[in-house]
This record gives sequence, C-alpha cells and structure tokens, in this order.
Amino acid sequence: MEPATVNLTIPAKADCIDVARLALYGVATRMGYSFEEIEDMKVAVSEACNNAVLHGYGEEIGRIELTFEMLEDRLRISVADDGGGVPSDLRVPRQSPLLSGSLSEVEEGGLGIFLMQALMDEMEVNLRQSGTEIVMTKYLPQPN
Amino acid sequence: MLGKERTPGVNGIVSGKQFGVGYEETPASRVMLLRGELDLSAAAYFRSIIEPVLAQFDKTLVFDMRDLTYMDSTGIGIVIFALKARADHPGSFRIEQIPGKIKRLFDLTGISRFLDGAGDGGR
Repeated sequence: MEPATVNLTIPAKADCIDVARLALYGVATRMGYSFEEIEDMKVAVSEACNNAVLHGYGEEIGRIELTFEMLEDRLRISVADDGGGVPSDLRVPRQSPLLSGSLSEVEEGGLGIFLMQALMDEMEVNLRQSGTEIVMTKYLPQPN
Repeated sequence: MLGKERTPGVNGIVSGKQFGVGYEETPASRVMLLRGELDLSAAAYFRSIIEPVLAQFDKTLVFDMRDLTYMDSTGIGIVIFALKARADHPGSFRIEQIPGKIKRLFDLTGISRFLDGAGDGGR
C-alpha cells in the first residue's frame, strides 16, 4: 500500500470522540488490521482524545487534531491539542493502577494513559510549548 | 426504558451507537441493561442513573453488558465507583454477560480481580 496520511480535526468535546473512533475504524480496516487490533486502537485513540477533552482546555472548547499515517508496516496515530495539556511530571505507568492494593485504595487516575501504552506497540507523549501531542504506533502483523 | 437518547452532536448528527440503559427488576435483583458505547460523553448520564440505585441494598444490583459495544477507562472508572459503593455488602453487585473485548480490558487493567463470578457469557 502506498503511504498515505489522513487528517481529522474535531472539537475537543466528549460527544465528538466517536467521530475519531469512526475515522480510526475506516483507516485501520483499509490497512487490514484484525478486529481485535482495531478494537485496541479504538480504545487507545479515545483515551488520547479523552485526555485532550479533560485536561486540554478549560471553559473554552478547543480542537483535537488527529493524524493517521498509513505506513507500509504500521499505523502511526498522532492526537494533538493546543490546550493546557498534561502535567509536565507525567509518567506513563507500565503497570495498571488497579493491579495492586485493595478496592478501597485503588484509584482510576492514570488508567487512560496506561491503556494507551498497553494497547499500542509504541506510545509517547510530547509536551509542546502549546499543548500536548500523543503519538501511538501499531504494527501490522508480519506476513508468514 | 430508563435510557435517554443522547442529545444530537455536532450539526445534529447522531451516532447510531448511542449509550442507553434499560432496566429490569426481579424479586432478587435490579438489572441495568447497558447498550451502545459507554464513553466520556455518556459517563455523567450513566453516573446519574446509577447513583440513587447504588444506595439501595435490598436487592442485588446487576450490570448486564451483553449489548455494550464499547467501553474505555471512563466506564471502568464508573465500575470502580459502583464496586466501592457496594463493597460493604458482599454479593450486592455483579456484572453479567461481559463481551470479550470488554473482558479483555477488565483483565488488562486488573479490575477483574474485584469482579468475582462475573460471567463472560461465552463471548
């Protein structure tokens, strides 16, 4: 497949995130990902958008810019906002925040970012002067 | 049906996968039948639906997920909220018919360990 890029800009509103999922579905289906891989990517992309909606902007409704790069062996997804973004001391947890401790102790904070890294092959958070960019990659299965 | 339809989104476009909650009551349980996509846009609504029921301990509260097509950390947060609210009354809350793709998220995040006896409905 020829490399191609799909760009999508949506309002940073909760009820627009399903549009990002629909776009991801279209792109990933075209590239030949399995049902399970697409489901994983739907959650990861939604979590990145959730982050932009919840932490990116205050009262103002900003924009989320999604870039889907359809490469030969992988799909590279960038989810960027130009809002307040995530705190600069953000860490990407390697373990789910729900895996240790009793029920009364567990908190769901950090769950979204954990899921992004757990469901994708690569994931990085770029803090920019204005806003945040989350870049996630999923490789296509190698042909036998 | 308890479920309101989600208000139309941008330019009146409505997704065909709207979140909604049906309700059934049996002598022993109150069953919330979840359908559609439980994402950030549905979270506040779902919390408002379950909050009054979480404080009623005369029957087991059940979330039936067979028609739930999508869930992410937002929904998992609400499940934790419900688990905590029912924690002092063992057996007073359970989740049934968890679709495979959502069960996978439950296992990956570790929330499964708090869901004893949660049936996956074979899916």
